[in-house]
Amino acid sequence: MTARLPPGLQLEKVDERIMTLNVGPQHPGSGHMRLIIQVDGDRIVSCDPDPGYVHRGEEKMAEYRNYITNIPHLERPVIHDSCNILYPYCLGVEELLGLEVSERAKYVRVIASELNRFTYTLYWLAIYGIFLGHSTMFMWPAGDRELAIDLLEKLTGARVTHSYFVPGGVRNDLPANFEDVCLRQINYLEKRLKTYADIFYDNPILIARTEKTGVLSREDAIRLGTTGTVLRASGVDYDVRVKEPYDVYDELDVHTNVLKNGDSYDRSKTPWLDMLESCNIIRQALEKMPKSGSVRVKLKPNPKGGNDEVYKRVESGRGSLGAYIVSRSKPEPYRVKLSVGSFRNLICMPYLLKGEKLGNMPAVYWSLNYWPVEADR
Amino acid sequence: MSVIAPKFRLGYFLKSLTDNIFWIIILLTLVGIPTLMLVLFFIDLPVLNGTLLTPFLAFTMIFHPETSVPLVKSLLYTDFFKIAAFPGFGFAALLAAGTIFIERKLLAKLQLRVGPLYCGKVEGILQLMADGLKLISKEIIIPAKADKPIFWAAPVLFVATAAAFVSLIPVAPGWVIADLDVGLLAVFAIIGFFPIITILSAWSANSKFPFIGGIRALHQMVSFEIPLILSLLGAVILTGTLNLSKIVESQSNYWFIAFLPIGAIVFFISMLAELERIPFDLPEAESEIVAGWLTELSGMMYGLVQLGSYLKLYAFAALFVVLFLGGWQGPMVVPPFPAEIITHGIEAGPITVQVPGLPITTQEMLNGTLWFTLKTGAVIFFILIPRGVFPRIRIDMLLSIGWNKLIALAFINIFIALGLLYAGVLGPGGLL
Amino acid sequence: MGTATGIIRALNSGIKHLAVKRFTLRYPEEKLKFVGDGYQFDPTTGAGIAGYKGRHMLFHDKCTGCQLCAIACEGVAEAIAMVKVPEEWKHNKKAIMPQIDYGKCVFCGLCVDACPFYALYMTNDYELSSFSKEALIYTPSQLQVKPEVNQDVDIVIDDRGATHG
Repeated sequence: MTARLPPGLQLEKVDERIMTLNVGPQHPGSGHMRLIIQVDGDRIVSCDPDPGYVHRGEEKMAEYRNYITNIPHLERPVIHDSCNILYPYCLGVEELLGLEVSERAKYVRVIASELNRFTYTLYWLAIYGIFLGHSTMFMWPAGDRELAIDLLEKLTGARVTHSYFVPGGVRNDLPANFEDVCLRQINYLEKRLKTYADIFYDNPILIARTEKTGVLSREDAIRLGTTGTVLRASGVDYDVRVKEPYDVYDELDVHTNVLKNGDSYDRSKTPWLDMLESCNIIRQALEKMPKSGSVRVKLKPNPKGGNDEVYKRVESGRGSLGAYIVSRSKPEPYRVKLSVGSFRNLICMPYLLKGEKLGNMPAVYWSLNYWPVEADR
Repeated sequence: MSVIAPKFRLGYFLKSLTDNIFWIIILLTLVGIPTLMLVLFFIDLPVLNGTLLTPFLAFTMIFHPETSVPLVKSLLYTDFFKIAAFPGFGFAALLAAGTIFIERKLLAKLQLRVGPLYCGKVEGILQLMADGLKLISKEIIIPAKADKPIFWAAPVLFVATAAAFVSLIPVAPGWVIADLDVGLLAVFAIIGFFPIITILSAWSANSKFPFIGGIRALHQMVSFEIPLILSLLGAVILTGTLNLSKIVESQSNYWFIAFLPIGAIVFFISMLAELERIPFDLPEAESEIVAGWLTELSGMMYGLVQLGSYLKLYAFAALFVVLFLGGWQGPMVVPPFPAEIITHGIEAGPITVQVPGLPITTQEMLNGTLWFTLKTGAVIFFILIPRGVFPRIRIDMLLSIGWNKLIALAFINIFIALGLLYAGVLGPGGLL
Repeated sequence: MGTATGIIRALNSGIKHLAVKRFTLRYPEEKLKFVGDGYQFDPTTGAGIAGYKGRHMLFHDKCTGCQLCAIACEGVAEAIAMVKVPEEWKHNKKAIMPQIDYGKCVFCGLCVDACPFYALYMTNDYELSSFSKEALIYTPSQLQVKPEVNQDVDIVIDDRGATHG
């Protein structure tokens, strides 16, 4: 057979020692992507990730819709973190159209963005727990996530795919009595987050299973271009909210959590510490928010930008998320490119999994905070 | 065959009812009555007290208490009853079913959610029956290149071995199916079968993921058998016999766990590993190897393996109770039967029924069963809790625990037992 | 013995949680209460009023048939089509009103934002399942009906945990 095989298919050489496992899309431990893993006994010899199962052509379809109709469309890659993925798009379009956002809208955006960070990270933590065999760590975050989703539902009107941010602000103001309910639920959520320490993060079996596995050194993390919690767990102090502040993050006190070792344990602990930090950010934002004001700028119908391009970055649950928008004096953008943290962290996977034991595969793979739908866009 | 259910129409429903009734009547008359006649033709009806025991007479005798109670009592002490119902399969299966239900509800409460809720009016009691019916009704798919005889036989062998294990456990004084003098040694021999059955099932499925799961199961079960056996030797040293009933009887003053706590802990951990329960459920690790050696089993084969697994759980917990917690020993809480029942019979309103030989069971048996069940329940509770609290362990950690740490602890336990024996504190001729 | 204390602490935490109340919402016997009457848009201020984005409700006495909702939906889901209605209104000379196909609608609410006459709202009704795709297309007269919702359960936090009650 000399014909070239289509991509994704491989001829399996029947070898005496090496076995090829398809941790494919129909595997309970893989998410919507495929990993072609070759094992020699218990050691992984090579790993070839095969993303692309959920590619829907988001960026191409964005070229046929105008700036406002793109909103429900571009939030689909990460449905529960939808505010964060629209954030750089809205910031970019505001710069292209020359819009001025009010203070209150900026604070509301910060609150919504941090709530979305909760929903994403708790979902990720739930799946991390169940991949390691800890069913309680699936149920507790999934249940506590309901508190954050309930707040988002009161705020935006939908549980996921909120369609909340628009260029010019947010779509609606806070409902009545939102501050009290939000504070109460955030305080309770923080209490619940702290109980995860006993049963998960200080659990000796978890520590023995994830410590010193998949070690990503500081130089390697910088060289491979990782971002987000993966970078911060390897000892690099970089958080887009602090280093390149956008909206009102320069007025809020954000503490970056940096851990030193760069193994799977640190990578699984950093998002949890980030969530505890988000509670503080929400409380500060609720205090400092101006008590009244408009939250939305009235746009002219069919707004057009000039011949311009803009790139804006935001820190989402998975890393820095950027949107590069090119406009050519038409209501539709000429090109929208989303640069997502998951796809950039994917490069670590074959690098880290080589030489690992097969039992460490879920621990390392999922600790890279990889969300397949977003990586495929 | 997936059909979208058509809308309900009363005509179709009545038609199906009458069809079923029609077929039942046809089968009973055309097949049932000739069979009955053939049977009655060849069997000689026995003669009882001068009258012929026709089926009518048999029915009357069953429902009249004077003749039925001795009949029931004699049935109670036959071997068949012991195997099928009381300390055997029926009792164990009932406890196993209760364990599955309680496990689901307990885990749900721990995880702040409700477990099964809608099956059965009270908090989902009938959920197990629904699951059982579902498994029975599913299609059994055999992989094309699997080794068919072994693949079919493996789950059946699994349940058979688990049932053989159950048969050795004494539940109440005198109530054990197989009262062997080398009972504990027989337990070890039967436990040695489980890795073989697991690897047979995994190998015959001819697929990669069961292969990995089977190899892991083999490693796990073999490496934890040695600490299991060694930890039980402490109890044997203190009694000097391998007979399980005698081990229980020798714990009448104190329980062995008070003096051999290390042995109990080693046995507990090895038990979790032999049962493939979390944290040791590697052979079934869902996120790495789909479902391990259970991947290719479907339908009732999977049901049989689950049944065998929970029978094993009951048997191991019962073994723990027998060896460390005093078996059926406990203060007598069952009140003695009033003497009038034995001599005069029961008085129920205007009728007095004289039924000789009435107390079907003895007081000791009820008491023993009660304490045994309570203690086994407590041990099962402690087996179920780690499922909600720990993640899965990795294979190299497991091997290092099984071969290094547990064997060392088990030896320390043996030395403690020997020390207590030779110091004259415990054992035959000791203080206690 | 760090491992032993860690294990005992984990078990302790697990057993303590047996006393915390269960969090599950017993749907369909209990349904969550939402903040208001649904998502509405105020054309005078240009911002929305917070509410749940459920089924739409159309006010026939305000709709003029301007098609802005259909145009807004064209880029998103193409779920709104204008159909002729047999009603006579002074402000709706063409006698067309939107019909919404809930098989395609993504409940984003941009149509509500686009309506300049305060005629299209979204309500709290989310139980829209049906047995056929044709039944999911809601005609303007179906959209006129105010949905009956009996939602009354909220998240209650007390010291034994959070529940829905």
